[in-house]
Amino acid sequence: TPAIVKAQTAIKWRFQTYAGAALGEHVTKPIIDYINTAANGELEIELFYADQIVPTGELFQALQRGTIDGVHSDDDSMASPTPLRQFGGYFPFATKHILDVPVLFNQYGLKEIWEEEYAKVGVKWLSSAGQDPCNFNTKKEITSVADLDGLKLYTFPTAGRFLAQFGVVPMNIPYEDAEVAVQTGELDGMAWSGITEDYTVGWANVTDYFLTNNISGAWIGSFFANEQKWAELPDHLKSLVMAGIEAGHTYRNQWYWGGEAKLRATGDKLELRTVPAAEWAEVENAAKAFWEEIAQEGEIQQKIVNIFKEYNSVINEAGPPYNFG
Amino acid sequence: MPYELIALLMFSTMMVMLFTGQRVFGAIGFVAVVAAVLLWGDRGGYDIGFSAAIKLMRWYPLLTLPMFIFMGYVMSESKIADDLYRMFHVWMGGLPGGLAIGTIGLMVLISAMNGLSVAGMAIGATIALPELLKRNYDKLMVTGVIQAGSSLGILVPPSVVLVLYAMIARQPVGQLWLAGAVPGLMMAAMFIVYIMIRCRLNPDLGPVLPKEERDAVPLREKLALLRAGILPLVIFAVMMVPFVNGWTSLVESSAVGALAAFLAAVLKGRMTRAVFETCIRQTLGITCMFMWIILAALAFGAVFDGLGAVKAIEDLFTERLGLNPWVILILMQLSFLVMGTFLDDTAMLVIVAPLYVPLVGELGFNLIWYGVLYTITCQIAYMTPPFGYNLFLMRAMAPPEITLKDIYRSIIPFVGVMIVALATVMLFPQIALWLPDLVYNN
Amino acid sequence: MSFLRRYVALVDGFNYRLGRVMMYGIFALMAVLGYSTFSKVAGTPSLWTLEMAQFFMVGYYILGGPYAMQMGSNVRMDLFYGDFTPRRKAWFDAITVFFLLVYLGILLWGGIESTIYAFQYGGERSPSAWRPYMWPIKVVMCVGIALMLLQALSELAKDILYLKTGEPARADTQAEPGDAL
Ligand code: NA
Ligand code: NA
Repeated sequence: TPAIVKAQTAIKWRFQTYAGAALGEHVTKPIIDYINTAANGELEIELFYADQIVPTGELFQALQRGTIDGVHSDDDSMASPTPLRQFGGYFPFATKHILDVPVLFNQYGLKEIWEEEYAKVGVKWLSSAGQDPCNFNTKKEITSVADLDGLKLYTFPTAGRFLAQFGVVPMNIPYEDAEVAVQTGELDGMAWSGITEDYTVGWANVTDYFLTNNISGAWIGSFFANEQKWAELPDHLKSLVMAGIEAGHTYRNQWYWGGEAKLRATGDKLELRTVPAAEWAEVENAAKAFWEEIAQEGEIQQKIVNIFKEYNSVINEAGPPYNFG
Repeated sequence: MPYELIALLMFSTMMVMLFTGQRVFGAIGFVAVVAAVLLWGDRGGYDIGFSAAIKLMRWYPLLTLPMFIFMGYVMSESKIADDLYRMFHVWMGGLPGGLAIGTIGLMVLISAMNGLSVAGMAIGATIALPELLKRNYDKLMVTGVIQAGSSLGILVPPSVVLVLYAMIARQPVGQLWLAGAVPGLMMAAMFIVYIMIRCRLNPDLGPVLPKEERDAVPLREKLALLRAGILPLVIFAVMMVPFVNGWTSLVESSAVGALAAFLAAVLKGRMTRAVFETCIRQTLGITCMFMWIILAALAFGAVFDGLGAVKAIEDLFTERLGLNPWVILILMQLSFLVMGTFLDDTAMLVIVAPLYVPLVGELGFNLIWYGVLYTITCQIAYMTPPFGYNLFLMRAMAPPEITLKDIYRSIIPFVGVMIVALATVMLFPQIALWLPDLVYNN
Repeated sequence: MSFLRRYVALVDGFNYRLGRVMMYGIFALMAVLGYSTFSKVAGTPSLWTLEMAQFFMVGYYILGGPYAMQMGSNVRMDLFYGDFTPRRKAWFDAITVFFLLVYLGILLWGGIESTIYAFQYGGERSPSAWRPYMWPIKVVMCVGIALMLLQALSELAKDILYLKTGEPARADTQAEPGDAL
């Protein structure tokens, strides 16, 4: 019978996600489950969570060598050796909403740039999508920009570099240690996610306040594969993997969009705080200078910053709901 | 070959290799990297070992390890514990078995100033042991008291074992430490009750100090000796108060504690050149021993994880065997006890705990409470032959009249008491959880 | 024989001196963490101290590792081993040291690959806001592991010398009680 023959020749992948088990349940596992079921034994992907097989810092090399075959992460926290590094995760104020990300990739040319840059370093980039905005959840309340001063926050490298000018002390520790680090005093909170993730992974249990202002409207995350393992995959399985990833994007779009609204409105673990928009504009303006600084770093960086500028001028002209009015 | 079988093969190979007497980290590391190369060799299996080194670097709570080891050595080598011993000696000598009871008290105070059992062991063996033997205390009683008492070092905060457990179980160290405090004191009380009962029944085990010797120390001096008890409390407070209040982080507190112990020794004029030399040399030696074992065990754990051993164990216990959660918990404790008698405790924690802890969480048990159960199991493992740190130390430090057989026999009643303590904390989780709830939920 | 002796003298001598220096690393670690505490009290917590402390710790235990091995700090499970005669111990060690050599060799292999990567693409930087280059610590790690490997070979050499000549080639490093651990 064909099913058994196929099962004997199953291709096996080891896949590691940036997320811990609680969040991974929503952001990565549905995709892997979908692929495994639909592949009917021809392809079996084993999913591992944050730092399980290799530490996040070593993720990229491990992917190049094939210690792991697939990765879900962002360019920034996995220390991508490409000029794209700063643009993954949360590039300050680059996006407003979760859907901005696929638009930027598919309609404004980021897709081609990502494909090309990762081909240069021997890794297959598969797809990018948006997730939640980058808000703050902290033990101390933030009601003005000045309150950021001296806060030790778990955040992304680029976001940390940006926030340092407001006195934030950015910390980078293994994802799964962040919650405990708040309890042991290594951290005052996070500038890492929207409110859905805060509740899902348990950070809402150890912090008290949620700042509704964000420094970016959507996380840009990607799926990658070991180049050789991808090439070895027959075409129909390639299509299947891509279909699974797309289905996962759709699921996350609604999971985050609905979760952010519902938990802000009805969640009882975090009290909401807001810095007046006029004052937060100081942070937004700082981002403009930061964009210029990054654009100076090279041709690719320049090109991407220009795309962000172009897109932002389009949505600002379009008005609400594309921008915040 | 099915993955479960490979996992089993890895584990049994490691056990066999440990018995050859090669350095523990070498045996574990060998199995880990060879398995990785055989399984994933063509695709970077060789980098698992080094990945573990990077992972270990990012495990920041381990920065406390050398600090607590250093603290322990400063305490034992600089003899700042001698005054403490004299305090207990003078105040408890009048009771049957009083010096043994005093030694338990001494061990509790020393446990509050260091994170391992090494310091307590060294102090007990160098100060208490000869004194007690001179007073005709029963050698089995004395040896047992010192081994059991010093093992409190990992249960009474601060505790290195609980720091390691915290990293694996992803639980807050502060709450775990506080959770260990009451069970630690309870266990000390149980040791004392045991000693009192034994010495009542058979006064020869722990003779009362002669009256003339007790009266030789005037009351004023007796009261003055009580001051010795202040120093450990001060060091404990300097370290714990800022930490529990969140003013300093875990690793910072450990450095503050180490510095405080060091300064105390300097101010008391006990930090001689020789003491200083021993402290920093031994701190390096013990830190290296632990770190290299953890490094190898982490690589082993990553390969084990890659084989899906965690899922396999969970499936086995919950689905295939369909056991009641309490039965599973008791089985796990039993298997920990059995493995603990043979295995290196640190390696066991890094390899076995990641298999068990998620399961304990899934079964709905409190992971803080389980941390205490785990630590008590480690204490037992420390003392039980053939492999245990306290055994190593006792063998190295004991005077010739105490034979290996004596050492092995001496622990039996104390292990019994510890098992009773373990069962008590299992039945009444509030013994562990009351204090962290009180401090952190206000 | 004289080659083995010279090798042992060279490797042990170097690792001994290095270890004696690394031993003071505990104070470097304390200083960084102390500064971290101080900067927090002063109101501006520094962003580099934790990572710097991590680097120091790695240097401490990896470069100090060979000296710790000389001291006999690495525990062994001595259920049977403990009762062996010195000669038998040497025989066993001379064979089982192979495990240790393989482990350290593969560890080093991974380390070298990772270090090469750290030099590529304009230099790998840590994914933190401080963004230190990763090659210095990786080089330190590789050097330490290589020295560990040389020390393990030296232990083998000492066992061979002992088995050939019957004279202990190892200084009695476990003279002090604490050394047993
Ligand atoms: Na302790
Ligand atoms: Na044991």
